[in-house]
Formats: sequence, structure tokens, C-alpha cells
Amino acid sequence: MKKSMICIACPVGCHLEVDESLNVTGNRCKKGESYAVEEMTNPTRILTTTVAIDSRLQRRISVKSADPLPKAKLFDCMPVINKVRLDPPVKRGDIVVRNILDTGTDIIATRTIEE
Amino acid sequence: MSTYDIIVIGGGAGGLAAAQAAAANKTSVLLIEKDARLGGILNQCIHNGFGLHHYREELTGPEYAEKAIDELTDKTLNIRLNTTVTKLNKEEDRFFVTYMNKEEGERTVTAGACVLTTGSYERTRGAIALPGTRPRGIMTAGSAQRYINIDGYMVGKRILILGSGDIGLIMARRLTLEGAEVVGVAELLPHASGLTRNIVQCLHDFDIPLYLSHTVTDIKGKETLESVTLSAIDAKGRPKKDSEKHFDVDTLLLSVGLIPDTKTFDGITFKEDPRTGGAYVDQHFETSVSGLFASGNALHIHDLVDFVTEESLIAGKAANRYVHRLKNKKKNHIRVNPGEGIDYVLPQRIDTTSKKHPVTFSFRVKEENAQATLRLCQGERVILEKKRRFLTPPEMERLILPVKKTLDVETPLTLHLEVDEG
Amino acid sequence: MYDFIIIGAGITGTMIARELSRYKTSVLVLEKENDVGNHATLANSAILHSGHDPKHGTMKARFCVEGNRLYDDLEAELGIPILKTGGLVLAKSEEETRILKKLKKNAEANKVPGVCLLGRESLLEKERRISDAVVMGLEVPTTSVTYPWEVALRAMENAIDNGVEFEKNETVRAIERTGDSLSVKTRNHTYKAKTVINAAGAFAGEIAAMIEDRVPYTVTPRRGEYLVLDRRVKGFISHTLYPVPGRKGKGTLLVPQVHGNILIGPTSVFQDALDEAPTTADGLAEIRRKANKLVSDIPFDKVIRTFAGIRASIDKKDFHIARSKEETDFIHVAGIDSPGLTAAPAIAKYVVETIIMKKTPLEKDPGFNPKIKTVTMYHDMDAAARNAAFQSDDRYGRVVCKCEMVTEADLINHIRRPLGADSVKALKKRARIGSGLCQGGFCEHEAVRILAETLGKKMTGIDYYAKDTPVLLKDTKAPS
Repeated sequence: MKKSMICIACPVGCHLEVDESLNVTGNRCKKGESYAVEEMTNPTRILTTTVAIDSRLQRRISVKSADPLPKAKLFDCMPVINKVRLDPPVKRGDIVVRNILDTGTDIIATRTIEE
Repeated sequence: MSTYDIIVIGGGAGGLAAAQAAAANKTSVLLIEKDARLGGILNQCIHNGFGLHHYREELTGPEYAEKAIDELTDKTLNIRLNTTVTKLNKEEDRFFVTYMNKEEGERTVTAGACVLTTGSYERTRGAIALPGTRPRGIMTAGSAQRYINIDGYMVGKRILILGSGDIGLIMARRLTLEGAEVVGVAELLPHASGLTRNIVQCLHDFDIPLYLSHTVTDIKGKETLESVTLSAIDAKGRPKKDSEKHFDVDTLLLSVGLIPDTKTFDGITFKEDPRTGGAYVDQHFETSVSGLFASGNALHIHDLVDFVTEESLIAGKAANRYVHRLKNKKKNHIRVNPGEGIDYVLPQRIDTTSKKHPVTFSFRVKEENAQATLRLCQGERVILEKKRRFLTPPEMERLILPVKKTLDVETPLTLHLEVDEG
Repeated sequence: MYDFIIIGAGITGTMIARELSRYKTSVLVLEKENDVGNHATLANSAILHSGHDPKHGTMKARFCVEGNRLYDDLEAELGIPILKTGGLVLAKSEEETRILKKLKKNAEANKVPGVCLLGRESLLEKERRISDAVVMGLEVPTTSVTYPWEVALRAMENAIDNGVEFEKNETVRAIERTGDSLSVKTRNHTYKAKTVINAAGAFAGEIAAMIEDRVPYTVTPRRGEYLVLDRRVKGFISHTLYPVPGRKGKGTLLVPQVHGNILIGPTSVFQDALDEAPTTADGLAEIRRKANKLVSDIPFDKVIRTFAGIRASIDKKDFHIARSKEETDFIHVAGIDSPGLTAAPAIAKYVVETIIMKKTPLEKDPGFNPKIKTVTMYHDMDAAARNAAFQSDDRYGRVVCKCEMVTEADLINHIRRPLGADSVKALKKRARIGSGLCQGGFCEHEAVRILAETLGKKMTGIDYYAKDTPVLLKDTKAPS
């Protein structure tokens, strides 16, 4: 069973095909090959979302995963993040959820809210 | 009446850069922002992909904004938040800016130069004359983005998005992660308008269908949205018979383009380029009004905020030079025209007497090209020739004219694109 | 028990209510929607016609001319905005010129003041943008433009000040005679009145059928579509411009609006639905085609909105304003299509002074106050008034809608005034927020927040327009 995908490693956007044995075709460079293999074996994504905060200026603070998370776990991460309630001050870079779902990755604030 | 050297209107990415550059050498600058914080639209763009060029790291919108805000260290820089400019006039050699806020009420201040970095607004349903009823549930993608990311509310349960530009794609992902069902993204053109990366990570990742060469041809629902009809369109842009698809949705988000927001001031008029929707400028981002500069989305719509920053740094520096000039220099302008294959090119004119700085041309191509040659010409003479790969309309490109290239002082410049065969 | 129940709070119902409130009598107005003036009153050309067009001898002709004059009083008493544009009816051919001349005779018979024929040269002096095809015009100087839903709102407010009761979100389902009164039933209430006045617009036929076996007219709804140009086109044209009227009506017009916008339309297409008015690709294209015939270089790139409305037309050539032949205490005020907005104050006088008074003499109420306390918006104030306003309330300093220059204090005033806004669109109707270039893109979230704060509701409790149409569904972090 071959899987089709578009490589996003560079603006060319080669249309790739990968089979179960991880043979990659359609790529014009090595970056495409490693992208395809990653996508088949361990696709990861940076998760960006918001967390509830008790600030008088805005009710939400933006956050991101400090590193890419396994793509399959994104939807499971959301309810964990959605339960968090923060109080200001929160600084850009502060850890909001430590080691989410045991992935080894933290969810960190991407902005500073002082009050 | 309070006086400043330079007033920068709009405190988003463009204004932050322009104000920073304008405030050099103890120049007094007033930066005016209508929202409660600086950062502009970046504050609600919580996704990443910003800063790869300018900061050499991948940042989310708010992180990019905060880094730019942290760079505003000049003591001669004054900031007014929650302040809206209502009028901009020029009399003799001074600019008069009227603004309003809760502390001061309505106030007029003056400056020797002004920079417009007011960003853009989203094209509306009315402007594209989408037919149908007008129930609850239809809004622009940016409005939905604000409600979700800043206010923290969901706008709908089952959503159709019109427009495959980056805002629409980003919102498809955001809404899905927050628990809504995005039934599809429709795009008028035969190709997606947004970056490929976003097609993959916002649509393919979530199995959200993309309907290319489709548009909305009917909207139903008396008080709340009930259904949206998509039709395929032919090469002439007309709906094809019997191609209708009906979607039962409670929300339709419109991501159908951005328009430079320089039309809401009373008073000043400057020459506008109908192709970009913004001002005609020279290589210093000075408009047809002497001392009035424009940059960022207020000038032409960008896809990368990094280029907004770089452009606005040039504009701010130029405003700074302008207010410190010892005398009014005589300028010599030659036109810059888009040639074959080029949709538009900025700046639309060059001052040939200004020889100290390289000129960065920003342009968009009309069609996708795997490989092409760009030629900047004056008549028959080729001034600059560069080969480029993978030029596409959604991605703004740049070409730098080095200082050492001398230009004829009378002949217009034309930027041509020649597709390389094979 | 009320003396009168009026069904419908559009321009007709509200004017009749106000007229009745001059007398010592009890009145209840029932409106099925969530606000005053939701249908035809909300979607029309906003013109106060001179009366040149309706056929001489009809009520339409008589009431249009009379109503046009009465609006001067309304301007003074209710503070409604009136833009005196004057009107020009434009002919593009010899055949149309012949019709124009007949129109002039009709106008003169209707006693419309100041009508005169103008040649192309004179027309160009008045409107330099008329198209090359225009050969002759009829000037109708008493044509003006108002803000129709504001007229209905203020008339209703004045009526309420003078004792009229008003219930919205009340859809009438049945009307029956019970002894010496009529019972008007909605889903949750039964109201009784000696007399019921049917001012239900496109629903007049349905309402009438609740009490009559044979309704003396059939409602034939006709949809009209419009384009709205941003207010920065102000000055592009200065007169209300009409084509020569045809079989389907007045045709596609170009109308300067009180806030600077230009309205172009309407079309005229029969449809079945009584209260759903979609715009259509064909309709919007037709407007452009027809408008281009009258005026050159129309800045269609400045279109910010399109909308449609339904005319409550009936299958007769005139309004049907009369007591029912089957139930004498049921009064029809039906078929109020053009020139309904203009005619409304005159219709109200006729209904009260002629139809009602003939059977039931009414006593004037000496306590009747024709004036209301008007709410002036910051952008309409002069410098001194603005300064005073800001000194009294610093929220006048905060601009919320920058396209139309609407301040936070303006919005709060329009939420708190009698018949104040309690939905996003109701606030737009009253305070212009969202009526500009960005169509609410920048400011709708502010409208929702300010409504929530001022009304003491949650953000998720603010409706878009009708009851239970919340803009925001739920908190993103609420457990699902």
C-alpha cells in the first residue's frame, strides 16, 4: 500500500510516494526521502493553541509545544491543555504543562501577560 | 499643540519596525495603536512559521511581536495605546494627526513626517457579492480567529471555509483542534492560494477536503445559517450547471483576501496603485505626499511578516533621514512597471538622485513557474538578470538592485519574467 | 382589554401607533420579530418620494404627497435625519421622453410642487455624471432621503412615551371574536382588543385569513435587491436618480443616503417566501447593468454590502386600507409597498382620523408629547458638543468602530435608550457599528462585548439578530 504526500521540506513541494518498506519515490533530494520516512514512521507536529488565563485584558494566552509532538497525540493533548487555568503574571517561555502525556515535551507560553 | 518629528500610525509588525528605525539619533517618535497592546494581527496569529528570515528561528505570531516590542528601547519613542487616528492632514510642511482616546479625548498633534503602518482589513461578503440570505453564522476567518484565540469562544460546530489562503487554512486546523467539524475548504482558483506547508498540515492532516475551482453560489437560512451551496466554476469563472454541492453547516468563514487599510482617515489623499490597493511609493517607501511613508500590509499584502519588518525598517529610516534633511533635495523619479508575467512590482517609482542605498523590489508573478529568468530593463538595456525557481503567485518575491548599478535618469524600468523551457 | 391592537411594528404599524397615542386610548403593538422595523422597513431605498409616480386619484398618490410634507414635522419632533437630495427622473430615448411628459402631467395632477422638464445641458449642470444615453429629465425637487428603520424606531419610542405598549417576539397565530372584543392569540398569550389593525406587511394576508373567510386581496411578495456603496463615495451623485418607470415599478435607482453611502437598486422579482429575501447573482448583475445606463463610471469597487427586501405588494393597484367587510372591527392596512415609507404618516392619519373616528370618536390627549429625547452620536456633534460630551463621559474618547467613527459611549447610549439594542444587528441599526468598509471585521467582537457588559449578560448570551441566535456558541475551554 503506497501512501502519497507532498514534501514540505522546501518550496519545490515534490509529490512523494512511500510504500510499507519505506521506499520513497518522487523526491528530488535527500531531504524529501527523510521527510517521507519520518511522516510514515513517526510524524510529528508543533502544537499551537491557547490556555485560559484570568487576566483583565484577555481571557486566553497563546501556547505552543516546545518541541514537535507525535501527530497521533495532538487530539489527546487538547483536553489536557484545555483544563489548565492560569493566573498572571505569565512570561513568554514559562512552562504551562510539563511533559504532556509523557511525551517528554512541555507546553510553553508564547507571550507575556503581566496582569 | 504637541509636536513630534515622526508619527507612526499602527503598532503591528510594520509600525514596530518603522518606529524603531525612526527613533534613531534621539528623533522624537509617536507610535499610535488602536488596540490595548502592540503587536497588531500577530497577537491573534498563535500558529508558528514567523521569523525564519528576520530572526532566523521559527516563532509564533505573539513571540515575533514580543521580540519586536522588546527592541523598542529608544527613550524618544512615545507610545499611545487604545488610541484611534481619525484624521490626517498636511498643511504646508507639517502633518496634523487627530486621534482619540479615553485619557485625552480628541486631540491633534503635529509631525514633520508620518508613516502609515495600519495593516489591512479582510475582504467582506458584500464586496464579493456572495448571494443568498444574511443569517447569523457568516464572518471572516480573521474575526473567528480573534473570537477563538483572544476572547476564547467557539463560533460554530459545523464549518465551511471559503478561500484557501493561509488564514482560511490555519483556521481549518484551529477549529478542528478545538472540536468543531470543518466540512471543507472551497477555493475559486484551480490551485490553492496558501503555502503548501499549510495545505499539508491544516487540511491533509485532518482529512479536510479542498474543493478547487469552486465557489459559494447560495446561502440558506432565515435567522441562522442552515446550508451553503458550492458550485464548480468553468475557465471563465461562471458556475457550471449541475455541479452544486450542498453543505449543512452553521458557520461560513470567508478568507477571500486582504485589502490595505488606508481608507479610513479623512483628510489626506495620495496616489494609489489599483493593482496593490495601496499607495504609489518610491524605494524609500515615500508616497506621492512628501514626508508621508507607507509600508507593510498597509502598502501591499504580504505573506511573510519578516518582509513587513524589513520593509518598515527602510521606511522608518527614510522618515528619519527626511526629518533631519538640511534642505529639500530635488528628486528625479522614473517609473517602475510590471512587464510580462509580473502581476505587480513595488516600488512603483525610483528616485535616481538617491544613490546611497540598494533598492529592494517586491513583486508577485502571474502564474506558477518552475524555472524562470527575471530581467530588470530600461528600454532595451538589461540592468539586472537573475534566474529563479519555483515562483508562484501566493509568494511575494524580492529582487535587489545593488547601489553600483547606474540608471538612465529618464527611461522607465520594467521587470520582465521569461519562463525557461525544459 | 385594549382599545386597539396593532399587528406589525414596521413603518406602518409604528406610525399608526404614534398617531393613536395623540388620543386618550389604550394601544398594544405586537411584533413577531426581535426588533422594530425588521422587514420591508429595513430593506428599501430610503426615499421620501415626491409623489410624481403614483397614479393620480389613488391613495398612493394622495398619501405620498401628504406624507412627504408631514416628514418635515417628523424631522422636528423626532429628530430623524432627512437629506434633501431632490430627484431627477432620467429618459434615454424618445419613447421614454414621452412617458416622462405623461409623468409630469401626473405629478402636476397630484399637486407635486416644482416639477419641471430639463434638457440634457441643464441635467449635466445638476449631475455631471449622468450617462451619455440620457436625453431628458424630470426634476422632482421635493424628493428626499431618510433612515427608514430609525424613523420607525423613533415613532415607536414616542408612542411608548405617550402610553402605547409594545411586545416583540410575539407571533400572532389566531384572531377570533369573543363577545364584544377580538381575541388575538400568540403562542403564550391571548390579548383582547375592541379593534385590531392589520399592519403586518408581507404577512397581512395570513393575518387577515385568521379572521376572514375571503381576504379581499392576495399578497404577492416581490423581492428587491440592492448594492450599498461605502460612505466615502459621498458626492459622487447628489440627487436621487430614477429611470423612467416601467411595468414592474420605479426601476433601478441610485440614491444618496443620509450617512454618505449610495444605494443602488432595487430589482423586482416575484417570489413565494414571505419573509426570506436572498440576494441572487442575477439580481445583483441586473442592478449593475441598469445603473450603468443612467450614470457613468459608477465606483462598483466601493460596494461593501448587498441585501434584499420583500415588498408587501398585493394584487391590486392601490393600498388596501379599509375595515374588513366580514369583521368590521378588523382594519386592513395592506399592500403597503412603494411609496409606503413616504406615505406612512399620512396613512396613519387616514386610518385614525377617517376610518377609526368615523365609527369611534376619540378624545385628544392634552398630555401628548410629540417630541422624543434624541440621542446624538459623537460623529454628528460639533467641536463644542464633542468636548462637553467627553467631559461628561470619557467613553466618548474611545473609538470602537473606526470605519464609521462610533464611540463606546455612543454604543452604550443606544443600548440604554428606550427600545434599545439587545442584539448585534439591532445595535448596527441604531448606531452604525458594522455599517462601514470592514462590515464589522474589526469591531463586531467589541459590539458583542459592550452589549454583554451593558446588559449584564454573558458573551455567549448575545444574539446576532433574532432571539436565540447567539454569535458565540460556547467557551473554548468548556467541558464538552
